[in-house]
Order: sequence, then structure tokens, then C-alpha cells
Amino acid sequence: MVAGRSHDTNREDIDMNDNRTIPVDRRSFLKATGATAAATGLAGCRGSSDSGGFKVGVLAPLSGETSDIGQSMANGAKLAVEEINGEGGIDGSDVEVSVKDTEGDPSTAKQKYQQDLALDEDVDVTTGVFTSEVLMSLMDAIAENETVHLTTGAATPEASQLVSDSYDKYKYHFRTGPLNAVQLGQNVATFALNVFPDIDWNRVYLVMENFDWTRPVQDVIEPKLRDSSDIEVVGADRFSPQQTDYGTLYDRVENADADAALVAMGNTGGQAVTSWSRGQRPFGFGGIHIPGQLPSFYGDTMGAPAYSITQNVATPTSELTDKTQDFIGAYEDKFDSLPIYTGYITYDALWQYATVAGDLDGDPGNADDVITGLEESSYTGAIGTIEYHGEGQRFAHDVIYSQDKVNPVFQQWQPDGNGGGTQEVIYPEDFATADYMKPNWI
Amino acid sequence: MVDILPIVISSIVKGSLYALVAVGFTLIFGVGGVLNLAHGATITIGAYAAYLIGEGYALGAPGAIAGAIIVPGLFGALMYIVLIRRVQDDPVIVMIMTLIASIGVESLIGQIGPSGQQPQILVSGNTPEVLGVSVQYHELLIVFVSLALIGALFLYVNRTDTGRAILATSQDRKGAFLVGIDSSRINLWMWVLASVLAGIAGLFLIPSEGLSADMGLWPLIFSFAIVILGGLGSIRGSVVGAYVIGTVEVMTTSLVDPKLTGLTPLLLLLVVLFVRPSGLFGQEVQV
Amino acid sequence: MSNSDLSERLDVEGGTFRQWLNPLNKPLRHKIGLLVLLLLAVLPVALTSSEALIFASAFFFAMFAMSWDLVSGYTGQISFGHTVFFTVGGYSAALLNMEMGLSPLMTIPAGVLVAALAGLVIGVPTLRLRGPYLSLVTLIAPLILFGVFRYFPIFGGESGLSGEIDNLFGLGFNDVIPVYYLAFGLFVVVLTVLLAVTRSDAGRIFTAIRESEDAVNSAGLNPAKFKIFAFVLSAAIGGLAGAAFVHTPSASPTPNTLLALAINIEIIIAVFIGGAGTIVGAAAGGLFFGLTRSFLEGSELVIPVANVAIAEVYLILLSVIALVIIYALPGGLLRGSIVGGRRVLNRNSDEDVATDGGEMVNPVAQILNNYRDFLGGDDDER
Repeated sequence: MVAGRSHDTNREDIDMNDNRTIPVDRRSFLKATGATAAATGLAGCRGSSDSGGFKVGVLAPLSGETSDIGQSMANGAKLAVEEINGEGGIDGSDVEVSVKDTEGDPSTAKQKYQQDLALDEDVDVTTGVFTSEVLMSLMDAIAENETVHLTTGAATPEASQLVSDSYDKYKYHFRTGPLNAVQLGQNVATFALNVFPDIDWNRVYLVMENFDWTRPVQDVIEPKLRDSSDIEVVGADRFSPQQTDYGTLYDRVENADADAALVAMGNTGGQAVTSWSRGQRPFGFGGIHIPGQLPSFYGDTMGAPAYSITQNVATPTSELTDKTQDFIGAYEDKFDSLPIYTGYITYDALWQYATVAGDLDGDPGNADDVITGLEESSYTGAIGTIEYHGEGQRFAHDVIYSQDKVNPVFQQWQPDGNGGGTQEVIYPEDFATADYMKPNWI
Repeated sequence: MVDILPIVISSIVKGSLYALVAVGFTLIFGVGGVLNLAHGATITIGAYAAYLIGEGYALGAPGAIAGAIIVPGLFGALMYIVLIRRVQDDPVIVMIMTLIASIGVESLIGQIGPSGQQPQILVSGNTPEVLGVSVQYHELLIVFVSLALIGALFLYVNRTDTGRAILATSQDRKGAFLVGIDSSRINLWMWVLASVLAGIAGLFLIPSEGLSADMGLWPLIFSFAIVILGGLGSIRGSVVGAYVIGTVEVMTTSLVDPKLTGLTPLLLLLVVLFVRPSGLFGQEVQV
Repeated sequence: MSNSDLSERLDVEGGTFRQWLNPLNKPLRHKIGLLVLLLLAVLPVALTSSEALIFASAFFFAMFAMSWDLVSGYTGQISFGHTVFFTVGGYSAALLNMEMGLSPLMTIPAGVLVAALAGLVIGVPTLRLRGPYLSLVTLIAPLILFGVFRYFPIFGGESGLSGEIDNLFGLGFNDVIPVYYLAFGLFVVVLTVLLAVTRSDAGRIFTAIRESEDAVNSAGLNPAKFKIFAFVLSAAIGGLAGAAFVHTPSASPTPNTLLALAINIEIIIAVFIGGAGTIVGAAAGGLFFGLTRSFLEGSELVIPVANVAIAEVYLILLSVIALVIIYALPGGLLRGSIVGGRRVLNRNSDEDVATDGGEMVNPVAQILNNYRDFLGGDDDER
């Protein structure tokens, strides 16, 4: 039962019929001994030479509450790989993609990474990963596997801290996006200081879900706003993601007579914003609200996020670079839906990797050469120009946040008058498509 | 400084919702002497049935209400007939089986059902402001329906023959048998009744919590606290307990720290259990 | 089941030590057990790397199951909150390692100690309660611990502890074979310790408590003492498994890995599949469950008519199996196969079938009887 399991259907080199009749123990034995050999010092021999092609592993939550976000990662990767192969692959060899479901759970993700992607499939590069917790559970495995990983959905600065502190061990980790939580906080603070006074959000109440990633966000925003003379921070709460009565939470905000709730919310955001708009709370709602970043969110919830503001990588009408609209169009043609931020980032990450690996002087299967290549690379993709902080810097191997490189937008969900809603960019001004609208019940 | 009115309102709404769940939980215990740990899964089933029939088949509120009553009722009957009846003399085996059944049901729903949907399935909108406070119609509905159903239950248990048979069975099963009461039928009826109440609670949870496979978990956990506080098996105790726990919960979130949500009722439970295990009210079904 | 089995009990006094050690002198089921252990010891040669890691995780799951069986299967004090001890052990070890830099060789014993202490703290007040009250307290214990985790940032809330945790002996996931043997070795140690305890006089008192606390009382023994002993030992072993687990590449100290209610239910399912109150049944059921879960999760099979991937519904399948087993084979698969095997052997050797013949008349009554036997059950290993 154990050995006969055809667990790696992606392997083209095994004839399925043979697999059923030949005692599989021999293959298993070879693999087992092979693994031991690798462990005793032959680990350097991975790469393009063994399978004749490049293999990309994608770790994404495909089931559970965050499956939309994971699906977009997988789609972004598939689209990128299809295009890369259409242009001749990497160094002339085709790229294969293998997607694994993390179920949004750190230990599942770790198992999938170790057992499936590293041991069974021996992939050349991995990408994806949603939530900081999942990423942190993988950092040691990534280091041990000595294979480049491009994060496209986790913001914790602890990851880049590790790269910075123990570069030789953790140098395999890059974060193509989103910005790390400290940068996210800086970005929100910049938005707040520039925009809040104009839209009468003078008294703000910080409402943060109690997950790792929101801590640095809050640590950056809170002092900056407290220093400002225009904005007063009238309260700050971290709430439990699993079990919260948002009605009571908003009573606290109301009692503090706040003009707005400044939020940082992931999975919890759907219920939170619905409770806000249904309760017709007399304060605005904005910040980082991940469900609101999804283009389908307004329709799915019958307008629950109307008038809420969130930071986003891009919106369906954005033109951050020449490639933004091309990517959105191709994505929509292929998958019949609009990409979510993780889709943009994953797409860019793989294209950047392919570009770097293809242009390399050295061996594109050699992780060290690829790392050097990525460190030196400046790649303009759908979300902006992607460059990474270098060795020795505070955010080593994180994407660089700057106005002319990667700079998120702030969008507001605005009702279109026909029962639908659109994501309108209200900041930065260069990309703005509309002005801020006050909720119609205030 | 702190506005007391919203806290009172939230407490009443929470208490009314928990009362629906806890009364059913305590009915099954009072009559059958067993704890139904699948009660939370029944809430989930009620919510999903209401959503699928009301929204999926576009039958609107009437369809949703019918779904939230019929499907959980059937589930309760099946649970009792198929799983519980043969082992009902052993409370611990019943706990194990209902727990296993509930995780099976929840993982099935989690895999094949939608999640996150939060439609205003019955009513929408807010009342005009009174004393500077406006309440969602949905919340008003919860309070009124809960009060009406529990009031009806009191009358039913006190004034009808079946009700008296329920009381008799809960006090003394052998005695009830001797006077010709079929305790198996009474038990079945309790499982159906309790499951219907849980299903209605599930329907009410849709607009505020949204659909998820484990949406019944916390109401069930609060039911533990409620029935221990009120005394296992006491209907009156459960109702009082539900409002106490609702208030404690809301006060914790609004006055202390939202991160403590869910913890205080459990600590209260522990204290009651170790200090006065029979709860504030008695043992068998009481009114 | 019958008195003739008593002679088969592991009994050193009956012969010389050498005779006792000789596997050929063992009853058949002991031979089978040793054979299975031997097979597991050489199995890695036939496994792929990832399969070996799956086995390692399954060994840990089986250790959790055995620790639960000691309290719940033996003394009948059904605990729904045993994951508390895995978590206390695992988190203590991980925190000591992450925050204070202690080596796993120090943090694992520390985790065991803290877990045993937690067993004492929870056990003493809880074991005074009976029936549903006791089960309710054990059910909410993990929830309270979870609430504490959510409140204090050091525990990382829902997402658990993240950061660098040293692996025991520095074994990473590429060192699959050593990781396998590490888990297997620990599994054998736990199995041996628990078998020794449950086959001792204390073990017989545990079963007696399950049958009737009053009887134990009237024999002049204090059941509370033995219950607490079982509880603390079980907590310590659960803590050991949890602490060692977080120091392997297979696990992270997160609520989902150690604390979730689902884990406790999975353990109950596993032990019921294998047979409660036997330790060996818990070990076998735990291994079976752990492996089945992993392989079903990784499988690409699709249930034909419903068109649902097996990977998505494994838990439902296993819950149904467990429910069926509770009904049809109340002693679990292990006990069922021993009884069944013995019946076949008996038939071959022309021994009387009549001792077991009673149930032929009314299978339903026999099932119910078996089921009552099992919870109020008669002995430890059948």
C-alpha cells in the first residue's frame, strides 16, 4: 500500500502502467539511498541537469477561507510559466510548474515544502506562500534545501531579518511582494498624513487583527500619527481573529468619537467590514484590508465594502507600468477572472526569476549564481520596478519600496449606481481615478 | 464617558441568541442525560440549509426559514435514531460519538460548502435612532423570535400532556415508563426540538458571522458555560445563564480588551464547576 | 475474555528470564507484535524520503494516542483535552530553545516536566468530577489555554511560535533516515514504558477503576491516587512526544499542530479503531490513522460518483470508520482480530468453541455486551 502509491503524478519519466506492475521497492530504495547520498554532501548537484527542465514549486492556500488569494498565486504562476515557455523557456529548456495546497496552515505548508517540493520533486525554485506564519515555518527548510524562494504573499519583516542576520544560511529567501510590514506601515502613514486632513479623518482609532504581520504595521503607524499635529489617535485595539463581536468592537470606536477606523485586516476583514457597513457606523473605514483588495469582493458580498479604503498592489484599471494592463488582460482571458494582488506579484516574481536565470553567465541551476543575479536585477513588471535590498541591509532581499519602484496604491470601493461597485484609486495622485467619497450614511 | 446603552443592547442580542442554543442543549441533557456535542454542527447545518435553500434556490426568506427548521430537525432525528439510541445509557460514549459526528459533518461542509457569505437573509436596515442609538432590524428580530420561542417552550412543557411527559421522563425515567411514557419517543422528540432551535440560531448567525463550517463551535462552547452556570438540565437556568454569559462576553470585549473575547465565560465555567457543580438551578428539566 | 487467556499474560515468574526473552515462547499475538516492530525497524530501505518523513510523523501521532489511552482507555476518565499536554510540552521546549538558547537535549526533559506539572494541576481538581462534568472540563481546558495564547504575544496566538527552533541532533528534513529512527526509537520507548506500567499491578488497578471505583475503594485502595498517577504519567508522556516533535523537521509549535480539538478527536478515532484500553491498540490505531491521513491527503484519488477528492474528505471517511467500529467491533480492530484469530485457532485445535458460543444466538446482544464490556470492560489486552 505504501510503496504503490503513485504520489508523484507529475513525473513524466514514470510510465503509469509500469508503475502498477513493477515492484516499486527498487525505485523507492534507489530514491532513499539517493536522498542519503544527497544528505552526505552531494547536495550541490541539483538543478536543470537531472530532469532536463526547470521546475517551479508554488505553495499557496487552495482550500479554506483564503483560497481565492492562493488560487490567484497559482494562476499568476501558471500564466508566467506559459509565457516563459512560449518565449523559449529558460536557456532553451521548458519550465514546469507544480502547485501545492498549504491549506493556509504553517505545518501543512512545511510538510508540502519538504516532502513534496524538495524531496519528491526536487524543484529548482519555489514561490508563493501566503501569511507570515506560513513563511516563518518554512524559513529553515528553505535554508536547508538551498533553493531560491520568492515570497509573494507574506509581509513579516522577521524573514528579511533572518537573511540580514545570517546571510549565508538564509540568502535563498527573496520577497518580491508585498512590501514588508514595516514598509506597509510607512506607506499607510504617508497616505494618512497626506490625505486624512483633507477628508476630515482627524480622530482615528487603530483596529488591528492580532496577527504577526499587523504588529510592525501598528508600531510604525502609531508614533507617526501621534507626532502629527493634524491627526489624533484616539484609541488602538488589537482584536482576536477567531472570535470577535465586531458590533461591540465598533461601539468602542464610536465611544471614542473617532472619525475613522484605521485598520489592518487579513482573513478577518470580510466580517469586519460587513459589520461596519451594515451597522452604518458613523466613522470611516480604511487602511490595509485584504478582502477589499479582491476585485470580486464587492459583488460577492452585495456591496459590504462600499466606501471602505484599502491599500492595494494595483486595481483592474491601474496602469502602474506598461505591463500592468497586458498582464490583467492575459490573466482575464486565461482564467476568466481578475487577478488578486498575489497573482500580480507571483507573475512578476517568476518572470524576474526566468529573466535572471536566462541571462546568467553561470549555471542557471546553481542557486548561488541565481542569488547574485537577483540581487543585481532590476526588473520592471506589472506592479512596478522590482529591485531587492542587498546583503547587510536591514531588509535584505526584500523588494525596495520607493516612489519610482514599487509603490502601492490606495483604493476606495465606490458604488457605481447600478448595484455594483468599482475599485477607484484615490492616492497617489499620479494614478488617481476618483476622489474620496464619504459613506452615504454619515 | 462610556455609553452604556449599546452595551446593554448588545448583551440582550447575544443573550437571546445563546439562549436558543443553550436551551436545546439542556433539553437533551435533561431528558436523556447525555451531552450532545454535535449541537454546534447542527447550528452550522441550519445556517447552510437556510443559505442554500433561501439564496441558492432563490426561495428567499420563507425558504431560508423552512430550511433552517426542517434540515436540522431531520439531522437531529437521524442522529438520535442511528447513532444515539443504542448507546444512550452511556453518556461518555454519546459524547464521543457526537463529537466524531460533528467533526465529520463540519469537515464535509468545510470541503464542499461555500464560506464567508454573509447575506442579510431575513431583514435588512436599521431602526431610526432612539436615544441616539440605532439597532439593526436583524438584531431586533433575534431578540423577539428567541423570546417568543422560549416562551412557547415554557407553555408547552407546563401546559400540554407531552410537556408533562417530558418533565416526568427527565425526573425519573423508570417511573415515567411505568406510567406508560415511551421515553425513547420523548428523547427523539427532544433531539428534534433542540436541533430545530439550533438551526434557527444558525439562521440568525448568517448575517453577523457569515457562513463557515465551524460557525457553531463558539455558540456550543458558550452553551457549556451557560448550562453549567444555570445547572445542567434546567431550562430556566439556561435562559438566565445565556443572558449572564452574553453580558459578561460583551462587557469583556467593550470595557476590558477585545483580545480576551471567549475566555471569560470559560473561566466563569471553571469557577462554577469547582465551587458549585450543580449550577445555580437544579438538575432535571425545570421551568 | 475468558480465564484461559490469563495464562498468556506476560509473566516473568512463570519461567526463566531467558525463556521469557525468547520470542518463540510468546503467544502468537506477541510474536506478531514483535514481527511488526522488526518490520518497522527495517522499513526505511523500502521507503522514499518523503514517505519516511510521513512515518516519522505517524510515530509521534501514535505516541499521542498511547498517552491518551493510558488515562482514557484504562481508567475510563475520557479526556477531550489531552492536546493541552502535547502543547505544554511542545511550547515549553520550543520557548526555552528559542528564547534562552537551551539545547533540545535540555528542553525536551524540561517540556516533560512542565507537562507532568500541568497534569497534576489539571488532574487533581478535575478527577474529583465525574461523568459529563469531567469531560466538559477536559473539553474546555485546551480552549482556555488557547485563550491564554491569544492574550500574551509571546505565545504567538493563533499562528503559534515562529522563528528558529533547533532540531534534535541538528537533524534536518534531508536527514530522513535518522529522523525516522529517532521517531521510531522514541515510539518503542514509550510503548515499552506504557506496556510495563499497564501490565503491572497499577495497570490492573486502572482497569478496576474503570469498572468500579467503589470496588477499588472498598478494597482499601485510594482510586484518586491511581487516577492522578495515570493522569500525570500520561501528561508527561504526551509532553515528551510534543516536546520531541517540535524539535524535528516535521512539526512546528502551532496550535494547529498540537492543540486543536480536531487532534484530540483524531486520537479518539485512532484509538477506537485500534482498540481502547490496550496501549498496543492505541499504538497500532495511531500509526494506522497517521499514515492513512497522510497518504489520503496526498492522494489524487477521486470518489467516483460524488466527484470529491479523497484528500479532501479523509476525516469524514475515518470518522465513519470509527463510528462503525464502535458499533460492530467495540474492542477495536486489534482486539477484534485477536478474538477472531483465537476463534480460528481454537477451531483448528478442536478446542471448545462453546465458551464463545453464547453470542451466536443473538449477535446484537453480543455487540451491546461487548460494547459495555469495553467501557466497563473486563481486561486490558483483549
